[in-house]
Amino acid sequence: MQAWIEFGQGPLFRLCFVLMILGLIRIFILTIIGMVEALNRNTDKIVPYRDLIQKTLMWLFPIKHLWTKRPFYGLISVLFHVGLLIVPLFLAAHVLMWKNSVGFAWFSIPRGLADWLTIIVIVTGIVLFLMRASSKAGRALSRKQDYIWPLLLVVPFITGYICSNSAIGPAAYQLMMMVHVYSANLIMLMIPFTKIAHCILVPLSQLVTAISWKFPAGAGDMVIETLGYKEYPTWVKKPRLETPVELKVKEEINAE
Amino acid sequence: MQIKVITGEEREKAFACPKPPEVIDKQKLPVRYHVEDFDVKDRPQRFLEAFAAILKHTNYRLALDHYIRVSAKCSRCTTNCQVYLATGDDDDIPCKRSELLLSVYRRHFTIAGVLKGRLTGNIGLTDEHIQEIADSFWNCTACRRCILECPMGIDHGMITHLGRYILSEIGITPRALVVSTREQLLGATGNTSAIPVPALIDTLEFLSEDMEEEKGIEIPFPIDQEGAEYLFLPAVSDFMMEADTLMGNAAVFRATGDSWTVGTGYYDGINYGLFYSDHVLEKVLLKIKAEAERLKIKKILIGECGHASRSAKFFYPAYCGGKNALPVINILEYTHQVWKEGRLKLDPNVITERVTYHDPCNIARPGWIVDQPRELLKAFCRDYVEMTPSGRDNICCGGGGGTVSIDEIRPYRTAIGGKAKAEQIRATGAKYCVAPCANCKKQLKELMEDNNVDCEIVGLHDLLYKAIIFEGAKNPVNEEEKVQDK
Repeated sequence: MQAWIEFGQGPLFRLCFVLMILGLIRIFILTIIGMVEALNRNTDKIVPYRDLIQKTLMWLFPIKHLWTKRPFYGLISVLFHVGLLIVPLFLAAHVLMWKNSVGFAWFSIPRGLADWLTIIVIVTGIVLFLMRASSKAGRALSRKQDYIWPLLLVVPFITGYICSNSAIGPAAYQLMMMVHVYSANLIMLMIPFTKIAHCILVPLSQLVTAISWKFPAGAGDMVIETLGYKEYPTWVKKPRLETPVELKVKEEINAE
Repeated sequence: MQIKVITGEEREKAFACPKPPEVIDKQKLPVRYHVEDFDVKDRPQRFLEAFAAILKHTNYRLALDHYIRVSAKCSRCTTNCQVYLATGDDDDIPCKRSELLLSVYRRHFTIAGVLKGRLTGNIGLTDEHIQEIADSFWNCTACRRCILECPMGIDHGMITHLGRYILSEIGITPRALVVSTREQLLGATGNTSAIPVPALIDTLEFLSEDMEEEKGIEIPFPIDQEGAEYLFLPAVSDFMMEADTLMGNAAVFRATGDSWTVGTGYYDGINYGLFYSDHVLEKVLLKIKAEAERLKIKKILIGECGHASRSAKFFYPAYCGGKNALPVINILEYTHQVWKEGRLKLDPNVITERVTYHDPCNIARPGWIVDQPRELLKAFCRDYVEMTPSGRDNICCGGGGGTVSIDEIRPYRTAIGGKAKAEQIRATGAKYCVAPCANCKKQLKELMEDNNVDCEIVGLHDLLYKAIIFEGAKNPVNEEEKVQDK
């Protein structure tokens, strides 16, 4: 089992990590290309950057926004995200691993803080899941991945906490470690292909929306040309279907 | 904002279908608005063709790709949608409504979706799904309040706009809007209310005489003045229904002396394209451009109308020359500017009743016109109160997104769409509710009537007209003095 763990921590981790990074870079660049294409197509290229940066920052750091509507949900959600970002990157054991596998590393956070953050992630993750499952609107909106993600995300946190904090036997430890490593790898692998892609795309949201609202000139004409309408399509011209009266007139003309 | 979910009885009334069942059967379209007859055959295929054509020539793919990737289904938008808060129906959650279209995009226009569809034997878009979209997308008032609450930055208003655009290309659009647009783009009068030029001139002359009588000073409506600074384009219905607003507009220009004109070539600010079709949006704006060029105008001035202002301000540069396009301003901006410069004098003792202000979504949501009308109102209304919430976070009147023009869904608009607004206005206890938007005015008037709220809906310039002071003219009579005289 030890060999499996080492494989998961070593080559497999590097593979998953690289795939995650490449996947995220891919969608990020695709979005940027989309924006450049859209701006090239548009006549109106004026983008209110200041306003957009302000809006983006407001959502990236929703300190002011948090308390206006659904404050409890907002608080839980923010705590969840904070722990989720900090622990994998700055836990001492992880920093060591980063150094071993990617070649460089950074500072680490104290053990006590990391433990608290881990507990916060576990609790808030489960609360988020329960909130989704217990609210009518949440259930109406949710897809499979929306239920799976919060639960999947807390798995490495639970196992990691157990491994570092409880006195369990070596076999149990290895099992926990195994789950920890492989679940984390699975998460990394899935990030670019699921809604967690928002981790890299959200800073672009406001800009994407603003650019998409700028419509290219002449598009309407080209659309109806592509669709094969002559000049104006149905919403202006008389409809294609003929009324009974028109049909009767036509029949009379034909009869003559 | 907390509002009660409608009762079963109210729901029945609001969702009652005004159309005979045989029409619904024939058109295979169980929606509550009237639609002109159009091919029912192969509708899913035609929908997808139209979708593909639109994606090919526009920038919607950028937004859709982004939205399907980031959408986290967090349900925060439920707190902001006045339709959902009133009905409590899951289908009215903004994110769920958008998913109707996003799922079609995902299934038919992404590689992963197509592959998954093949593997799982998913047949893709069905006619039932189109019927659902046609019903749902016209229940939304396109007020875009949900975007204020979306952490992912998804603009559900844009998706509603796109969905309606695709529907319009396969012939599913409320008849009321199509008929108006047809008259505007292809008809003899060239405007949505079918007002011919002689009638327009008559009306304006009549209003001028009226004002001279009241104010003792000549207040003209300049017509076809070449080289004027401003081309004035109100919602054309104002010429018939909102004479007071127009008189206020003219009075402001009389006081400042700036040159402005109404053009007989084109005098309609209304642009239903914003609600259902980019093509119409462009064609109407090009008509404005042609008229501005004919009269050698320097700036385009839109009257008290929310959607006309937004469609001109934000889309005129897109269709008419980008950076070089003529500047577009709203009459509220203009009036506020001249008042700040001290060129407009207002009597603070005329309007003594309680006044409140309703923000039209189209001008308030982008944060464009929020403070200007408030500063003006506070300057001449003694008892001004705010609604909560207001400004950028305002609640829609319930008739946004063109739904106000669909007369057959009035019960829906006043019982569901406008429920929150009616409560809000009732809570202020105001005598006047200022709504500087032709659509909001019509909707709010019906809303007050159907919900038994005692409040008069006016435009900002209606009140301003009463309070404006002309030097060397009869000044408005102080209401208190009038009472004392009696």
